[in-house]
Amino acid sequence: MGKETPNENLTPVTAASLSKKHILGIENMPILEINALLERANYFANQPKATFSTILANYTVLNIFFENSTRTRVSFELAAKRLGASLLNISISGSSVKKGETLIDTATTLNAMRPDILVVRHHSSGAPLLLSQHVDAAVINAGDGRHEHPTQALLDALTIKRTLGRIAGLKIAICGDINNSRVARSNMYLLSALGADVRFVSPSTLVSPFFSDIGIPVFTDMEEGIAGCEIVMMLRLQTERMEGREAPSQREYFQLFGLDSYKLQKAAPDALIMHPGPMNRGVEIDSKIADDNNKSLISTQVELGVATRMACLEAIAGVKL
Amino acid sequence: MTRTILKNGRIICPAENLDIVGDVIIEKDKIAYVGEKQVASEKTNSIIDCDGLIIMPGAIDMRVQSADPGREHLESLSDLLTAAGNAGITQVISLPATSPVVDSAVMIDSLKLRASSYSGALFHSYGAMTQALDNKHMAELGMMAKAGAVGFANSLKSVGDTLLMRRIMTYAKMLNKPVIHHCSDPYLSNETDMNESETATRLGLIGGPGVAETIILERDLNLVALTGCRYHAPHISAASSVEALRRAKNYGLQVTADTSPAYFLLNDKAVGDYNTAFRLDPPLRDEKDRLAIIEAIEDGTIDVIASDHHPIEMDKKMLPFGQASAGASGVETLLPLAFSLHHTSNISLFRIINALTVAPAEATSLPIPKLAIGEQANITIINLSSSDVIRGANFMSQCQITPFEHYLIDSKVVGCFVNGISVMK
Repeated sequence: MGKETPNENLTPVTAASLSKKHILGIENMPILEINALLERANYFANQPKATFSTILANYTVLNIFFENSTRTRVSFELAAKRLGASLLNISISGSSVKKGETLIDTATTLNAMRPDILVVRHHSSGAPLLLSQHVDAAVINAGDGRHEHPTQALLDALTIKRTLGRIAGLKIAICGDINNSRVARSNMYLLSALGADVRFVSPSTLVSPFFSDIGIPVFTDMEEGIAGCEIVMMLRLQTERMEGREAPSQREYFQLFGLDSYKLQKAAPDALIMHPGPMNRGVEIDSKIADDNNKSLISTQVELGVATRMACLEAIAGVKL
Repeated sequence: MTRTILKNGRIICPAENLDIVGDVIIEKDKIAYVGEKQVASEKTNSIIDCDGLIIMPGAIDMRVQSADPGREHLESLSDLLTAAGNAGITQVISLPATSPVVDSAVMIDSLKLRASSYSGALFHSYGAMTQALDNKHMAELGMMAKAGAVGFANSLKSVGDTLLMRRIMTYAKMLNKPVIHHCSDPYLSNETDMNESETATRLGLIGGPGVAETIILERDLNLVALTGCRYHAPHISAASSVEALRRAKNYGLQVTADTSPAYFLLNDKAVGDYNTAFRLDPPLRDEKDRLAIIEAIEDGTIDVIASDHHPIEMDKKMLPFGQASAGASGVETLLPLAFSLHHTSNISLFRIINALTVAPAEATSLPIPKLAIGEQANITIINLSSSDVIRGANFMSQCQITPFEHYLIDSKVVGCFVNGISVMK
C-alpha cells in the first residue's frame, strides 16, 4: 500500500481540449476537461523518458513569478522544456514592481514581446485574471494569493488516482491553515467534483465558517476531523501566523493540529499522507510520518507535478491554435 | 467513617429548588442525606445545631487575584485558600495576573498541584488570554484548557485590538471555554483616578466615565454574536453596561456577568477624603449606577456576585490618591456583604445564594453546587441575624485593606465544609 501503481496502458491519449483560453482556477472548470487533463497527465507520467519535444516547439512560455517559488517554477520549467517550448523565468518581485510598475503595465510590457503562454504566480488573489484581460497570451495560474492553485489540485488528484485507483467515495481531510490556502480552495472544488467526501480540519481561527456554506464540512478537532479518512492532506502553516496572532504558538499548533502517529491512528487503517510542500517539520507534520514511504505520497506529488503541467501547457496551446 | 449531622437548619439549594427546614448528613466527603426528617444521631462524630441558620451549597468566588506567585509576602496561596475557607467560600477561581503570569499549561499545573496540598477552599485557575498579559499575542489557550484552565481572562487592561479579541473568542469557542474580559476602553480610562463625577471635579482628580466600561463591553458583545463564544463580563460597575448586558441576554447571547459588593453598596462619594481604600478598578460609580447594579442582580442581568479580591501592599496605598494602586481584600467580606442585599434591598435569599453558587459554576462550567445525596460535601452555613462590624485588622489575609472598614454587617459565616472537612478556623 502506498506506492503508486502506474497504469501501464500506453494507449495514446489525446491532448485535453479546453473551452477556455486560460487555466485560472478549478472552480468553473467543466468536469470533462478536468478528466481529460488528468488522463493526458497520466499518459505523460507513464512515459517519463519519452520525447514530446515537438508538441510546443516554436512556443514561448514565460514563467512570471511575483512571489518566490522553487518547486512550482521548476516543475513548470521542466514541463515546458519536455514539450520543446522556449522558456524564460522572470522573477518580478526583484525588478519592476519595486520600481513602482503596476500589474497592468507589466502585462502590457510583456505582451509586446509576444509570448504564447504566461505561467503566473502572484501574491494577490485574482491577479492572473486581471493579467489575462490585458495580454494576448494564454495564462496559467500558478497560484494567486489565497484564491486558487489549479495545477496543484490537478497533480494531487492524479496522485490519488494513480495510487488508489479512484477518487469518488474517498474521505479526504484537508488540514491546517485553510483560510490562507489556495491549495485548499482548488482541491475543495476538484476533489469534490470528482466525487470525494472532502472536509476541512483547522483551528477555528484559520478556517472561515463560510466554508460550510460552500458545502465543505469544517472540523476544529483534529482527531474527529480525520476519523476514517483515506487521505490526510496537510497544509503548510506560515510560522509567523503562529506567534500569538492566528494561533498561539508552534508547540500548541503541533499538539492540537500537527499530524503525528497518535492522531493518524484515527484515520482509516491505510490512510495516506499528502502535503503540497514546503513542509514545516514538527509544526504541522511529524518527520516520522512525512518520511514514511509507506504512508507518504509527498514525493509522488512532486514527481507528478511535471506530467500534470505538461498536460496543462499542451491543452492551453491547443486552445490558442 | 466520619459522619457529621447539620441539624435543624434552613436548607436552601437553588439548583434543587429546595427551601426546607431539616437535617444534612455528611459522610466522609459526600452528602449522605438532605431532608426534613429529623435523623438519628448514633454513630455520628459531630452534631452541629443549625437552628436559625442557613445551610447552603458551598459558595464559589469566581474572581480572586492570588498574589502568589510573585508577591507571596503579601498573601501566599495557602493563606488565600485558608482565608477563603474560613469566610465560607469553598471554591475560588484565580485570575492570571501573577508573576510569572499564568499563561502556560505548566503554570496551571503548578498552581493546581500546590493548591491541592493546602487546606481551605478548593482552587481553580483562569489562563491569561494573551502571552504575559501583553494584550498583543494570544496565549496557549489550548494547552491551558487541557491542563484545566476554566476560562481565559485578562488583567485590568482591556484587549484594545478588536481583531485579536475576535481571534481569542473564535479560538476559545473551539475549546468551549469562556472568555472573561475586564472591560475598560484603553484611551478613555487611561491615567484616570476615579469615576468622572462631581466628586472627582471637586477633588481635582482625573475622572473616567462609566461608558469606558460599556464601550468595550458593547464591542465584545458584538464579537460574541459574531463568534458564538461564551463570554463573561466581570465586575460590572456602570448602569450603561447593565443596559448593554440586558439587551445581549434578551438577544439570546451566551453571556454572563458578575459584580462585586463595592459596586452595589458604595458610590464615588466615598472617595471624598482621598481615602485610597476606595481606589478600585473599575472605580466606584454614581449612586444611579449603584442602584442599577442592584436591580440587575435582582433580575439576573448580573448573574454572579464575586469578591474581586485583589490584595495590595500597604505602601502602595499610603500614597496620594492618584498614585495609589487600585484594589482591596475581598474574600473575607464577600458573603456577609452579599447577604446584606437581602436586608437592605429585599433581594431573595434564593437569588443571592444562586449568585454565589449556581451562577458562577454555570459561567465557568464547574459542577453545579447542590445539596443532594451523593454530591461532594461543599457546604456553607450562615447566620443571618448576627450584627458585626468589618475590621480589616481581623482579616486572616495579610492584605487588610478594605473599602468596608467599619461597615456594619448583619450576617456571619458560621460553618464551612470543603469535601466534608470543616475549614473554619
